[in-house]
Amino acid sequence: MSEKNPNVAASAGVAAGTAAEPMVRIGGLRKSFGDLEVLRDINLDVMPGQVVTIIGASGSGKSTLLRCINLLETPDAGHVWFHGADLAAEHVDVNRLREKIGMVFQGFNLFNNMNVLDNCTLAPVTLKKMGKAEAQEVAMRHLESVGLADFARADVNNLSGGQKQRVAIARALCMQPDLMLFDEPTSALDPEIVGEVLEVMRRLAAEGMTMVVVTHEMAFAKNVSDEVVFMDKGVIAEKGAPSKLFSAPEHPRTREFLARYLEG
Amino acid sequence: MSKLRDFVTRDHRYVLLGTSVVALLGMLLSSSPRPELSFLANAFTVELVMYYVLVAWLVLCAVALLFKLTHWHNYAESAPFTKPAVARALRVGSYVIWAITAVLLVDRWVMGLASAWQVAAAAEKMPDDMLAQVLYMFQQGRDTYITGIITTIELAVFGTLIAFFLALLLVFARIMQVDRSDNDCVRFFKKIGVWFAKVYSTVVRGTPMLVQGVIIYYAGFAFVSSFGLSVTDTNAIWSRFVAGLVVVSLNSTAYMMEVLRGGIESVDKGQMEAARSLGLSQWQAMVRVVFPQGIKFAIPGLSNELVINIKDSSVLSVIGVFDLAFAASTVAGIYWKQLNAYLVAAVFYLIMTAIASWLLGKFAKRFNVKAETMGSTSDQPVKVEE
Repeated sequence: MSEKNPNVAASAGVAAGTAAEPMVRIGGLRKSFGDLEVLRDINLDVMPGQVVTIIGASGSGKSTLLRCINLLETPDAGHVWFHGADLAAEHVDVNRLREKIGMVFQGFNLFNNMNVLDNCTLAPVTLKKMGKAEAQEVAMRHLESVGLADFARADVNNLSGGQKQRVAIARALCMQPDLMLFDEPTSALDPEIVGEVLEVMRRLAAEGMTMVVVTHEMAFAKNVSDEVVFMDKGVIAEKGAPSKLFSAPEHPRTREFLARYLEG
Repeated sequence: MSKLRDFVTRDHRYVLLGTSVVALLGMLLSSSPRPELSFLANAFTVELVMYYVLVAWLVLCAVALLFKLTHWHNYAESAPFTKPAVARALRVGSYVIWAITAVLLVDRWVMGLASAWQVAAAAEKMPDDMLAQVLYMFQQGRDTYITGIITTIELAVFGTLIAFFLALLLVFARIMQVDRSDNDCVRFFKKIGVWFAKVYSTVVRGTPMLVQGVIIYYAGFAFVSSFGLSVTDTNAIWSRFVAGLVVVSLNSTAYMMEVLRGGIESVDKGQMEAARSLGLSQWQAMVRVVFPQGIKFAIPGLSNELVINIKDSSVLSVIGVFDLAFAASTVAGIYWKQLNAYLVAAVFYLIMTAIASWLLGKFAKRFNVKAETMGSTSDQPVKVEE
């Protein structure tokens, strides 16, 4: 919590306290790929303004859980409520709900056939019936905030990894989402440019954005998040405030995992 | 480019050995009979001198080879051929050899072709010489060949264009997946679309175009005449050309659909996921993001279809479409010389496919993609999707 603006953090806490209604509620979520059970009975609440970090070894189901929240993976059983609407129900208008959920991928996934600005304006123009000029104005504001306003007309293939990921964040923000999902946003980056992406995420958290972050950046999990979730073999082995989970982990697997990270 | 320049000006390795082959070729040309229009026939001494220069060069090469065999270890130091001045002279000599051979080539082959053309044009009946025969048949059957060429081009160009638009429709039917938010009606149509595209592709790619041609022509004929039309009227509506165009289009549609599908599927899955995560529908994501990238991968294969159609439309002569192959068989039937008639057709097919490949290569360059070499539908194995 130390790096967060205390006022914002407090107000977010208050908001969460008074609303008492979680933005995302995951209940009894199950997912298998063939015979492999990836998620087993996951229950998790994300309050508005909260930053939840999901950590765990590779193959523990972190990314799958995240991708179930915006239904890029279809759950086999269970529910994902977002603002009270069950995403996992048949025939639900997923596209409308996804407009409110931004996602940032490990591999950036910028649209290769467009320049930076068009990447940012495609969805707002197509879905929000926003005028091109207005959408570009919004996009420029977000590109400014990630420090890439000068690259608006650049071809996305000419950007560095860190720049690509910052554009991806700006692109998601252009839809004015209520919730941002980050799927290992820094894992494909060179160590020296991880910082520029984390800096943007840190600022986003300080502005009160609700975020669910799958990451291997333990420092980020420790300093920025309100809650840390440790996943192991498809279940949530332990969750709690970062101060508690990092200093006094209860589950033996958590201890083992953290020890390995502290050594490495 | 600098590599080529170095080879021409500096590299010594192939001067003697390489040019000796050229000199031998020149000698062979010189010993071949002179055609009617040969210009060297009037300059016998010139040709004699040229011939002996070639012989002298071969002798020189033989000496150099012997020297190399006897001085295997220190050839570079001991041989007179590697001294800079001699090497330079040898290089100039090699250019002379090339020039002599080129002159002989023009005299014997180009002028030979011209003579044969003259003979063929003047001939009242089939000449004796093979080359003159081929040219005679081309000259006599010129209108037939030209009609055939125009029909072949029409079939290939219109067939490919029609097939492209049909393939676009079909590939979207093929790749649409049932989405969670779809209602039952949309789901039904998506499933029907995928099923239809799969069956269509399997049936068309799994049967030969010749067989398809016969079936479609006669089935269409029966269908049109079932409205109570006479044979003449039916022929006017369902002509052999129309039937042929339908066959080429339907056949090419299946292959182009698979090419397009391959292109679309080679686009990174993350592109679709990113578009969907922003709230775009499957259709919007496909049209705005995935397809524009996928078609780039598909352009070489798509343009190759034109070349394939130029060649493969020849099987339509089985239903009497007056294409180039049909023209060749017509001319062959008149003179009873199959080989000559089809040699003429082969040359024209080659010219047409070469021009098409060249144009398509330029077209593909505009999209920054590399064009494929010529292929045929029969080269591609049929993949049956389950």
